[in-house]
Amino acid sequence: MSWRWSVLIAAAACAALVVILAKGFGKDPHEVPFMLAGKPAPAFSLQKLDGTGKITLAELKGRPVVINFWATWCGPCKVEHPVLDWGYRQYARQAEFLGVVFEDTVDNARSFLQMSPTPFPQLVDPQSQIAVDYGVAGVPETYFIDAQGVIRGKHVGPLSPDALTARIKDLVQPVAQAR
Amino acid sequence: MNSTLGYGLILAGLACATFGAVVGIATGMAGRISGLAWVRRAVLGFFVCMVAANLLMVFALLSHDFSVKYVAHVGSRSTPTVFTIVSLWSALEGSILFWGAILGAYVLAFSIAFRKEQSRYVSLALGMMLAVGVFFAFLIAGPANPWTPMSPVPLDGPGPNPLLQNHILMVIHPPMLYCGYVGMVVPFGIATAALLGGQLGEAWTGSLRRWTLIPWTFLSVGIILGSWWAYAVLGWGGYWAWDPVENASFLPWLTATAFIHSTMVHERRKTLKLWTLSLVLATFLLTILGTFMTRSGIFNSVHSFTQSDIGPTFLTFIAMLLVFSIALLSARGHLLIPEGQIQSPLSRESAILVNNLLFVGVTFTVLLGTLFPLVTEAVKGVRISVGEPYFNKMSVPGGLAILFLMGVGPALPWGQADRKLIGKQLLIPLATAAVVLVACLALGLRGILPLLTFALGGFVAAINIRELVVPAKIRISQHREALWTALFRSASRARRRFGGYVIHLGMVLILVAIAASQSYVTRTSGTVRIGSALKVGDYRVKLLGFDEGAEPHRRWKAARMELVGSGEVLRPRMNFFERSTDPIGTPAVKSTPLGDLYLSLMALSEDGQSATLNAWVFPLVGWIWWSIPILVAGALIALWPQRQSRRALAPAVGAAASSSSNLRETA
Amino acid sequence: MGSVLPLAILLSTALGDFAPQQAGSEPLEPALEARVQKLGKQLRCAVCQGLSISDSPASMARAQLDKVRSMVAEGKSDEEIRAYFVERYGEWVLLQPEAHGINWLVWLGPVALLLIGFVVIARQIQKKPAAAPEANAEQQSKRPAHAQGDDDEYLARVRAELER
Repeated sequence: MSWRWSVLIAAAACAALVVILAKGFGKDPHEVPFMLAGKPAPAFSLQKLDGTGKITLAELKGRPVVINFWATWCGPCKVEHPVLDWGYRQYARQAEFLGVVFEDTVDNARSFLQMSPTPFPQLVDPQSQIAVDYGVAGVPETYFIDAQGVIRGKHVGPLSPDALTARIKDLVQPVAQAR
Repeated sequence: MNSTLGYGLILAGLACATFGAVVGIATGMAGRISGLAWVRRAVLGFFVCMVAANLLMVFALLSHDFSVKYVAHVGSRSTPTVFTIVSLWSALEGSILFWGAILGAYVLAFSIAFRKEQSRYVSLALGMMLAVGVFFAFLIAGPANPWTPMSPVPLDGPGPNPLLQNHILMVIHPPMLYCGYVGMVVPFGIATAALLGGQLGEAWTGSLRRWTLIPWTFLSVGIILGSWWAYAVLGWGGYWAWDPVENASFLPWLTATAFIHSTMVHERRKTLKLWTLSLVLATFLLTILGTFMTRSGIFNSVHSFTQSDIGPTFLTFIAMLLVFSIALLSARGHLLIPEGQIQSPLSRESAILVNNLLFVGVTFTVLLGTLFPLVTEAVKGVRISVGEPYFNKMSVPGGLAILFLMGVGPALPWGQADRKLIGKQLLIPLATAAVVLVACLALGLRGILPLLTFALGGFVAAINIRELVVPAKIRISQHREALWTALFRSASRARRRFGGYVIHLGMVLILVAIAASQSYVTRTSGTVRIGSALKVGDYRVKLLGFDEGAEPHRRWKAARMELVGSGEVLRPRMNFFERSTDPIGTPAVKSTPLGDLYLSLMALSEDGQSATLNAWVFPLVGWIWWSIPILVAGALIALWPQRQSRRALAPAVGAAASSSSNLRETA
Repeated sequence: MGSVLPLAILLSTALGDFAPQQAGSEPLEPALEARVQKLGKQLRCAVCQGLSISDSPASMARAQLDKVRSMVAEGKSDEEIRAYFVERYGEWVLLQPEAHGINWLVWLGPVALLLIGFVVIARQIQKKPAAAPEANAEQQSKRPAHAQGDDDEYLARVRAELER
């Protein structure tokens, strides 16, 4: 191979390397892909934390649902707690709110809720199987499911009142009008 | 006060490095040595400033001076003293500061080693090394400044990452790794000086090789210590996860090893010049790339420092280095025309060529695999993972081939080999391999890959041991020396060869240990109540009870496990740090020469009556760490200075110059 | 397959709470459990940095492995289990890239490099074969005349090396 070709190939390879690395900036390598957006929400049937029975996803069809995965050991979840309370009071007519305890014990959750109760039902997810079903990769995560049972999207991290409002507004739009 | 002083020292270091780089390269290119004395002074100045800055930072950490940003970031009053000192390199800014000090030390060492040589090549080499120093000093002074004064001054800090406080190995693994990584700047300086100067002297090969072998040794030890740390600390029983940062440390090791071999061919046949020099430049580039990968925040890794702004700066430096290297090699192409050639496929040169190809192949594979998720994301927008299964699949064939060559290479002579002779010489090693294979089969071991590894291990060990012992035997027969004298004398007369074969034996240990511990691992997990036992492999461990304790920086709970039969008590435990919501486990490991029993505590019951454990038996895994003394011994033998006069860096006119030159490397 | 009573450590302090380390589901019988562990090695833990769910001590990994275990117990095939996780986490959850489209680069690139390398080496060595016999003859004549016995030739070689 002649000299020029070798130099050219080496230069091209190095340029490609630098470009690839440069394109990596600004992306978060810890972000976990979320594939269920636009797909039907997986069914579940979970016991309520206060022991008063079960809730299944099927029985909630016809109303938008907001599912929040949280844990007592998770700081941002506690920060988000009052936002969800407020959200429920604002939007309970528009959407159903549910909380699912993630990777935590029933006792921990109960003690926490005794101190700061929520107005909406809290569910127990044994062995976090429903969390895996929904593609959860950490807490807090909040899933937004529309009236037809399709997952519109999820919010990773603690919710702010503005984010929650925007999501709920989006949720109640019929699909045709949604972005 | 500390902040200002520290920052001032960095600026002074930057000034020294810039001055030295400019003077060194300018006068060197012009062919004059007038600036050399000043360059040496600049080297000393850079060293002093960097080391002083580091010592000052350690002082600030120990005195809990939270007005310094870095101390506020990683310091804590409850951290034990040892780990406070260690926190110098536990976070990004401190680690770059540490890098600067080691860089200064290496450049100074080189300057001292060549103190008697007055040539433009030393000027150029020091200038180039200081130019790299300029980049790092600039980083410390700018984007990665640890000295920013904090206001208001916090009362306490969060302490270093809990994972870094769990084990004493954390004290030694990074410094070893840095000494390996940073040291690659010296061969870079020598090689670029030779190319820039326009003449490749005879002696640059020797210096290049020696000054690569030193950081290579540190790098090898650092990598093995890192895997020992992962094994002893992280609790998942593994020692190598093909994590991007682990790969980053592995890449320059691979090219440096390839270089050490190809330089032998260059020395004897005067060919492969371009290839050899490219390997040197590539090794240095890969260290910078590796540093970038660890610190840029674009890779998902256990080792990643937090996101910072230094990524783009680093990438610019890498781009500049790439352009410079390619331009330099193509501009000096006329120097790199081979003068000899490789004649026969059945010769040591060919074996080394194939060895180089394999090493570069593995380097390429690891680099491609590590970068590929970025590629797919850039091209398709899809995120994929390239993890352990891929790397294991791709590297096993290469590893086996390299193992094979470690035997065949030493067995083949330089130049043309006589087939019949080689055939006869390979009989005993092949017999050894067969014996090993039969023994393994008799012991009930199965599986093509591990058995092949063991057989090849026997083959390679037999050849390398023979190459070590036969010269001694000759001495015994000729000079009637005692065995140890003969060994010692034969080693000291051919240090590189002897040291190299000792290192080969160390590598065989490692590869055999990896094969055994990966293929024949036994794993169990289970929950046991107090008084009952868990069976794993040939061991049974009984839960006796629980212990707990508190230290200033953590609380812990341990399970007391008794090894049924020997009565030994193992205590796997969980540590609870304030900073972390997940407890960090410390496994309990019982090491024997034949394998390790490894216990990891996963959960404790509320009532304090049961524990959930993962337990493994890893055969032969300890051999990996025990190869360190062998590798170090081999490297020391190879590096040990000869008493004869050595060659200068500058090319000397005429053959006589090589032996009687009064320009010497006085290391 | 029943689930073990969750064993967890309860340690809520005023300053920090710790994620309870819950035990996973009971291992299946050895043949099936081996399949679970093998699949586990191929799937990535959603919260870790690159570890597989078999290796990771994280509780999320344990939950994912429990899911694999329950699917294996139900009789699902390996492809179905992998597809289940890909549906939720994307191809990212597979620790080795599936061989399609651009992913072929990462599987075949190294092989291509090795092949090209071998070709280059072969050509390097085969260049100017005419010079080789001459050089050889020179070398042979330089050797001392211990022509008898292979041992001596070997020893001569070793001596020559020793003299280096």
